[in-house]
Amino acid sequence: MLWVSSSSKLTAALCTPDRRLQEDSKNVQIAVTSGRYDRILLFDDSLVFLQGIETHICDLKTVWVCSSTKQNYFQNFQLLQIITPEEEFVLTSREPQNQAVWQWKLNQLIQQRLIGRRNFPLWGKAGETSDPPTSRVSTYTYKNEGRFKNATYDGDMSWGKPDGKGTLKWPDGRNHVGDFQFGQENGFGVYLVPSSLPDRYDCYKCHWQNGVMQGYGICEYADESVYKGYFKDNMRHGYGILENLASTTDPFKYTGNWHKDKMSGYGVCESTQKSERYIGMWQKNQKHGHGIVLMDSGTCYQGAFALNKFVGSGILLSEDSSVYEGEFTEECLLAGKGKLTFNNGFTLVGSFNKSQTAGLQTQGVLHTSCEDQNGIMKRKFQLGVGLLPVEERWHGIFENFQKFLESGCKRETEESFLGFHVKSNKKLQKSQEYLHCQSDVSGEIEDILKEMSLQLEQESMQCYLEKAFKSSHHPLMKLMKELCVVFQATYSGIGANFHLLSMAQEEIKHYATKIWELYRALKVMAGGANDMAVPAGEDEEERNEALNSYTVVLPILLPYFYADLFMLYMLYYQQEDAYYWQGIVRLGMLTDTKLLQFLDVQKFLWPLKDIKLTANQRYSIVRHKCFQSAIECLQKIITVMDPSQKLEIILKTYTEIEKTVSRVVDGDYKLPMDDLLPLLIYVASRAGIQHLGAEIHFIYDLMDPSNRGGIYDFLLTALESCYEQIQKEEVRLYKC
Amino acid sequence: MAAGGAAAAAGASRTYSFKVVLLGEGCVGKTSLVLRYCENKFNDKHITTLQASFLTKKLNIGGKRVNLAIWDTAGQERFHALGPIYYRDSNGAILVYDITDEDSFQKVKNWVKELRKMLGNEICLCIVGNKVDLEKERHVSIQEAEAYAESVGAKHYHTSAKQNKGIEELFLDLCKRMIETAQVDERAKGNGPSQSGAARRGVQIVDDEPQAQSVGGCCSG
Repeated sequence: MLWVSSSSKLTAALCTPDRRLQEDSKNVQIAVTSGRYDRILLFDDSLVFLQGIETHICDLKTVWVCSSTKQNYFQNFQLLQIITPEEEFVLTSREPQNQAVWQWKLNQLIQQRLIGRRNFPLWGKAGETSDPPTSRVSTYTYKNEGRFKNATYDGDMSWGKPDGKGTLKWPDGRNHVGDFQFGQENGFGVYLVPSSLPDRYDCYKCHWQNGVMQGYGICEYADESVYKGYFKDNMRHGYGILENLASTTDPFKYTGNWHKDKMSGYGVCESTQKSERYIGMWQKNQKHGHGIVLMDSGTCYQGAFALNKFVGSGILLSEDSSVYEGEFTEECLLAGKGKLTFNNGFTLVGSFNKSQTAGLQTQGVLHTSCEDQNGIMKRKFQLGVGLLPVEERWHGIFENFQKFLESGCKRETEESFLGFHVKSNKKLQKSQEYLHCQSDVSGEIEDILKEMSLQLEQESMQCYLEKAFKSSHHPLMKLMKELCVVFQATYSGIGANFHLLSMAQEEIKHYATKIWELYRALKVMAGGANDMAVPAGEDEEERNEALNSYTVVLPILLPYFYADLFMLYMLYYQQEDAYYWQGIVRLGMLTDTKLLQFLDVQKFLWPLKDIKLTANQRYSIVRHKCFQSAIECLQKIITVMDPSQKLEIILKTYTEIEKTVSRVVDGDYKLPMDDLLPLLIYVASRAGIQHLGAEIHFIYDLMDPSNRGGIYDFLLTALESCYEQIQKEEVRLYKC
Repeated sequence: MAAGGAAAAAGASRTYSFKVVLLGEGCVGKTSLVLRYCENKFNDKHITTLQASFLTKKLNIGGKRVNLAIWDTAGQERFHALGPIYYRDSNGAILVYDITDEDSFQKVKNWVKELRKMLGNEICLCIVGNKVDLEKERHVSIQEAEAYAESVGAKHYHTSAKQNKGIEELFLDLCKRMIETAQVDERAKGNGPSQSGAARRGVQIVDDEPQAQSVGGCCSG
């Protein structure tokens, strides 16, 4: 009937053998409000709008219908809204029944179309009417201008918009698989972009928000470089790591801050081929600002960079511990005025010129008078201090945790703030990382918080932190993992250079401070979440004073960084430790009585009574018997990592000495320093702790500052003076 | 909670922590001096004391609470070079000599020179002639000692650990001077950009619990 009345062109466009007309706006009157179309046809598979011979066909699978009421001055209008992915139509009719018929028919046909059957009655019995689901799996190819033009969406849709899981394919090969919401990429998604290389894609696995990459993501680029880090508005932004270690021309790994897709801010970059590491400031992918260059050979520079070039004057620390301060060329070669301090303390002040071919040419004055103290300071020059403020170093990492906290610690946003859950599975070890999108992990964030709110004691806090750092689904663990990554990127390998010690130790302390801050914020949050008011009494305040980043966080944090950090201490104190060790070896050859005598320990304090002599033995041949308990105690210092535990051991060592002494003198004897120091030297020399210098200074730097001036400080100082004394020539070169 | 910007805080709730090193040759009696001072007054129940090498005392001077930590040092000549390790960051030094021993006074002079070189004028020095009970055997003249002390900006005291003479005064005076120095420091820090002041020298101004047990006025000896 229809085909007869219509033109042949229209017939050609619409007529298919299976298609049946179900309704016609000429039949049951209804019109499009916008007036663009003059006729509407409803087939069993599509809705067609006609204007002259122009047709506009909408597949019923992607048609949503709802009725709404519009108010006018005079009356209420019933409107029928037709929603398709790219268009919306509003139908009205003067007759309310017509509208009802259209709505009912449309819904029925959509339902049938979705199910793929047409075997139930159109004008069904009352009560059996069921509207088609608003969420459906559909396919749609976009035609209008815009981001999605010509792309085909296949997946969950709701009210004309991708919503749920789906795939979007562009004809140019781009491809997005992931979560959608309100018509846009939202949530986790994998986005492939073909590159100029054949069969190669840039693969973005990341979090999206309203159609743009936002939050944490991983991008595997076509050139095999990989970015792992944060995105903002489709650009790399915030903290991130880019490596292209597979590159043959210039493999590098950049760990640091990004701004609008470019390396900007503080970052560490290692060029693996040149074996060179740059630690410092960046701007638009170039070294710019204060920076440090470490070479494989041990040589390092510090200076200012502009657009990738060294500018002005700087410092060069050579591997033979001579120091040059002065002007350089852009390629870090000595050029211009400067001062060279040799490792023997001689200085050369003048003008320098070093070319790659002709060696170093210089004109200047050589000073052979050593400024002793100054020379040592220079040899041990600490890079980066004051130039690269610790607060600015990795704020991108902490920032995201902070944002996560501010957003209310929602499970669904956790990954985008803190990075993906990584499950290390033996089977998957080759691919190393396994994107774990479902949150089927036991122990959800809500439980994690619940557990937290009750901790008030130092021990329970530490216990919690210890667990948190290890638990694969705790936000703090992810933070910790990232901190380990950046610390290693800076301070291990080429970075194991004692000139970086100050930077490294202040960085660790900064981590502890930040984690302490975040932990407390998390706790406040947990308190809120559990409706638990934290009681704050005077008692509380007092206790809170003893709780700080040094007492609570550092002991738990240190084990993760101990190896790398302690390495820096060992390197820094290498020479002193070597002298000390010579002393230890010398003194080790002495018998106990000889050693006590050598140290001028007053005779009445000699613990000879403790020694049980066998028949032929005499005191003068006994070794390693006196003050055994104190010696064994002190030796334990290397078994713990926490500075406060190390201090505890030193205090215990003292108590053991005191015990032995009071047994020897058989009464109360108050040990003044005149007597205590020789005894301590005795114990320290017998304990023979390797790298004692590194140990002592490690404790100094990382102990709770409230210990300063107190008993622990005193004992540590006493131990340090023993260490100094053992290094002295009179000890090292003592002829036994 | 610690030092830093506490300069402007109300004076009432502040505690000064001072580190004082004790220097002197072997037999001048420096240990008995501090033992007399610290133990005569009250029994410290805290374990913050190491018999005779490290002693602490809490004082209340004009409403200001002071925690005094006294660090003993080894007086033997062979350990002389270790001095700087001990007296870094200290606020005060007590240099003890034996009035019957000219040599011990010479030693004091050496230490003074070194202290001034290492710590400048920020450290309060007390030169103490001990054993005034042995006045008859005096070998160091009062005039000489006092003149010397004045010349180096130190105060001179006479004490007898045996008879418990002059010890209270010595420590009280020292504390007052250290408080003054700390206050000058704070003010300097408040005005200028110089951050080096108190923090570097280990003056910690700690907000303390208000009812800190005040040690029965030190003057009422």
